Amino acid sequence: MSRLHRRGMARIEADLTPMIDMTFLLVVFFVLVSQISEIESVEMELPKPVPSASAPPPEESRSVLNVLPDEDGAATGYRLNSTDFPLGAEGIRGLRQELTRLYDVQPDLRINLRADRRTEQRFIDPVFDAINQASSASNRSEAARVNLVVIVDRESPDA
Amino acid sequence: MRKRHPQGRSRLNITPMIDVVFQLLIYFLVATNFALGEQVFRLDLPDRGGASMESDPFVLEEEPLRIIVRSGGRDGETALVSIEGPYPQPNDLAELETFLRNSLEDRGAALFRKDHPVMIVPSPTTRWEHVVGTFNAAVRSGFRSVVFAPPE
Repeated sequence: MSRLHRRGMARIEADLTPMIDMTFLLVVFFVLVSQISEIESVEMELPKPVPSASAPPPEESRSVLNVLPDEDGAATGYRLNSTDFPLGAEGIRGLRQELTRLYDVQPDLRINLRADRRTEQRFIDPVFDAINQASSASNRSEAARVNLVVIVDRESPDA
Repeated sequence: MRKRHPQGRSRLNITPMIDVVFQLLIYFLVATNFALGEQVFRLDLPDRGGASMESDPFVLEEEPLRIIVRSGGRDGETALVSIEGPYPQPNDLAELETFLRNSLEDRGAALFRKDHPVMIVPSPTTRWEHVVGTFNAAVRSGFRSVVFAPPE
């Protein structure tokens, strides 16, 4: 190659600096996003109604509330965005306070509720109460809005 | 390589190409659906408190259609649904959906209007998938006002 250049031939240079800049930006972006989505979506088996009347998640402000699954339909606690709350009255109280704070900041907030398909209702119902009470406490006029998160098969046609 | 430019140095500036390629990359990344098949049911929680709701005393509250759902069978894998009242009892969620669909005003039986409240009553040990499945059946059959009752 250097011999060619010495002869005064066409010299092709590629300035790689902008590409490397962009690539690093993309890498940083994906690292951050993957961490966020890991926090938001706890590993669990979501309910899978077939065929489902569910819809793709709408683009709007939302917080993700995970019911952390345990063996045999039990739960180990709740996770709102990235904050964990224990089971029982104390955890629900904390959850309610955090939800009230969120509703004060964003009155049109929607809660995406994710729970394992095996989780029993006694662990999930307190969450509904907490959302309801938080919604009432923050003086919102409309009802609390919740998105129940399910999973659908891409292959199965939605009737 | 043939000698096309015997004199002068020609430089190939590939920066614009890289810019365009990354624009395309970003376009496709954004256009791709990241959610791995996750979908949602939209639900408005009714106020269970009762006291804070202003109710019109002249409006007769409609008695909701109560659907009781439990998890039974081997390992609790089966949804056991029953409807309170003098209705035919469904054996599974598909039958429940058929009954609900046929009970609407524009169908043969015409028992309910579409905004008739449907209340899903789970037990404390009902699995979440069965609660969601019942909700799905009610929504699919056309009912617009479906709520969850506290577990009984």
